[in-house]
Amino acid sequence: MVEIMADAPIPGENYLSDTRNYPWHRPPEIVDYDQAVDYLINRLTETEHSELIYSLMKTKQPLTGIVAGIMMQSIGRGKIAIDLAILASGPIYRYLEILADQNGIEYESGLEDKGRIPITPTTLKAAVGILDDDEAEPEIETPNAIIDASEGLMGRPETTEPSSAEDQAMMLGLTDETETNDAV
Amino acid sequence: MKFDDAIKKSIKAFIGGKLPKQLIEAQGKEIIYTPEYLDELAEMPEEPVMEEDDG
Repeated sequence: MVEIMADAPIPGENYLSDTRNYPWHRPPEIVDYDQAVDYLINRLTETEHSELIYSLMKTKQPLTGIVAGIMMQSIGRGKIAIDLAILASGPIYRYLEILADQNGIEYESGLEDKGRIPITPTTLKAAVGILDDDEAEPEIETPNAIIDASEGLMGRPETTEPSSAEDQAMMLGLTDETETNDAV
Repeated sequence: MKFDDAIKKSIKAFIGGKLPKQLIEAQGKEIIYTPEYLDELAEMPEEPVMEEDDG
């Protein structure tokens, strides 16, 4: 009989651990909205942080992601609580926008829903599973169709039949014919 | 709702001009960093960079 040793905490073990070890387990340092925004803006203006943020914006990282990162860092350090971080994200986003505009940086806002599939009658039918079989599906140009064009050196030959024995011998250099270069 | 989604929702609300009314009521004072304040900040000209004199 195989004995399974469960590697899990015993019930109630969490009551024995010291929950004040992490900054986010203690009350946050800043609880005022304006003070929180002030603190975050001051952090943005620090040289190291501003360099990182400008680089992120130039590499087209979405501003919403940058704001989320800043907020996570501040929450992790126990500076602000999660709810205040969410409330303060609006002014911080707007401040980053202003910085980007003033420095002529093209940025991604991150507020557009790029990954969203637009709802159309066809996608709705497909989702519900009532797609009509009678509907003619539009032809999609496949890579094979492009390869079939037999253009270029590596294109597919138009005929699939093998070359004649004479042509094969010529290609292998078994014939006596030598090419003459009249152009010279 | 994930944290990132909450951030996006909050940003959209702020850009749309909505203020955290319940927070203002709880604090008992008006907030400084409103959308209007930041719009004014965006329209302000940039501060000129002061060059340090070597001599």
